Amino acid sequence: MRRVPGDRDKRPPKERGTRLPKDRDTKLPQDELPGTGLPDGERDYEELLAREERAAEQQTLGAAAVRAREPARVTWQKLTYLPAVVAAVLLATWIWFATADLDPISRNALAEGVVWLRLRQHVALTVISTFFVLIIAIPLGILLTRGRMRKAAPFAVALANIGQATPAIGLLALLVIWLGIGQKAALIGIIIYAVLPVLSNTIAGLKANDPTLIEAARGIGMSPLGVLGKVELPLAVPLILAGVRTALVLNVGTATLATFGGGGGLGDLISTGITSQRMPVLMLGSVLTVALALLVDWLASLAELGLRPRGLEVRR
Amino acid sequence: MNFWEFVSSTHQQLLTDAYQHASAVFQCMVVATVLGVLIGVATYRSEWAGNLATLTTSTILTIPSLAMIGLLIPVVGLGVPPTVIALTLYGLLPVVRNSIVGLRGVDPTLVDAAKGIGMSRAARLLRIELPLAWPPILTGIRVSTQMLMGIAAIAAYASGPGLGNEIFRGIASLGSANALNQVLAGTLGIIVLALLFDAAYVLIGRLTIPRGIRA
Repeated sequence: MRRVPGDRDKRPPKERGTRLPKDRDTKLPQDELPGTGLPDGERDYEELLAREERAAEQQTLGAAAVRAREPARVTWQKLTYLPAVVAAVLLATWIWFATADLDPISRNALAEGVVWLRLRQHVALTVISTFFVLIIAIPLGILLTRGRMRKAAPFAVALANIGQATPAIGLLALLVIWLGIGQKAALIGIIIYAVLPVLSNTIAGLKANDPTLIEAARGIGMSPLGVLGKVELPLAVPLILAGVRTALVLNVGTATLATFGGGGGLGDLISTGITSQRMPVLMLGSVLTVALALLVDWLASLAELGLRPRGLEVRR
Repeated sequence: MNFWEFVSSTHQQLLTDAYQHASAVFQCMVVATVLGVLIGVATYRSEWAGNLATLTTSTILTIPSLAMIGLLIPVVGLGVPPTVIALTLYGLLPVVRNSIVGLRGVDPTLVDAAKGIGMSRAARLLRIELPLAWPPILTGIRVSTQMLMGIAAIAAYASGPGLGNEIFRGIASLGSANALNQVLAGTLGIIVLALLFDAAYVLIGRLTIPRGIRA
């Protein structure tokens, strides 16, 4: 027997919403009790569904309560705190450098423009690789949740998990041996390393969508493309954005390894500092890398807050 | 020399490196687990402290591992100390976050019932809350371990122990006959170790997750 989803709980929505947590395991309301003519198994199933639904409601209620306390998404603390800390650290490093006594090797390693060049290389590596990661991983994730391709999705997720076990430096070294030294090998390595987590994030996001909503969209006659563009993707935006942030942060980190394949970047300063035992070079490279990583994460978190669909936020 | 000849001729060295890699990750993971669960237990009751712990550890995780090691070298020198400190710090986040989430997720009625039958605060924590929060904590430990496997490889650049040395030896001798073999041996070794650890965690989960809450 087929039942309409909304049939499960006949109480008015208001009453459902105000249920207290304690209520969860006590007796079910009359219309769900034995004697409604359902076979035993079916009744258990209904009960389970109703319970799940209530748990989910409580979660959204709790989240709504938290949000109600902070109506603005981007508060001034979020805007100023981290950049202020980063600026202070950079300023301290700069002052230290202005007074430090550098020997010829350090001075050579930090010669006019080198630091700036490495920083630009690092940013370029991060931005370009993130762009490619997104245009590869998100369409692939969408493809793997459509129709017949759906069967391949578990394999992709399993592959992504094994990929996580692969050390980034090993992957990069293999690519350098295969493609030769240079930025190309580094870029490809960074991209491969970040595609898998973003892919599994996208698949998880699209799969987590409420199937009743998709069914409803189909029911009102939307085309598969319409369902994807107007229902599924907007609902999955938070998870996809989280994937973007993951990719950016991962890429800033992996880009430090580009130096081992002759790809440049701030990792160059760090590795020069380690091999030549020059602490100022090492410190400058490390501090700049940390500052860049924190700033990128901060920007991504702002984007995450700003781009989230409004409809997913106020559910009352 | 093909790959298998290389492996059989250097298996002594490879096994030593693999053992050191596994033992470094394992020991740091034990420390990170103990610290992480303690931080979780200390902070999960207050929203403020819990969020601060999660924020701090996630900020640490944002820092690229090579930069973290670079910052540690001037303070503690090369070799094992920066490796151990970096691995432990990176291992913390998943454990801290999952123990806070797990401990907060324990049904309050159960804790209430335990209080009702006269259990002390410590007994409630050890016999009710932690066993119920154990599955997410174990997941956190798994995630951490996988991550540490890769970070330990990078730590080899600062003269740390482990299979990363094979990879860096290969990079240093780019173009030579054995470069590919060395990098491949190091990389595959780390993947195998990560999968072995993962299997061990599945087994630990079977043995230690209370029967009543097994999925």
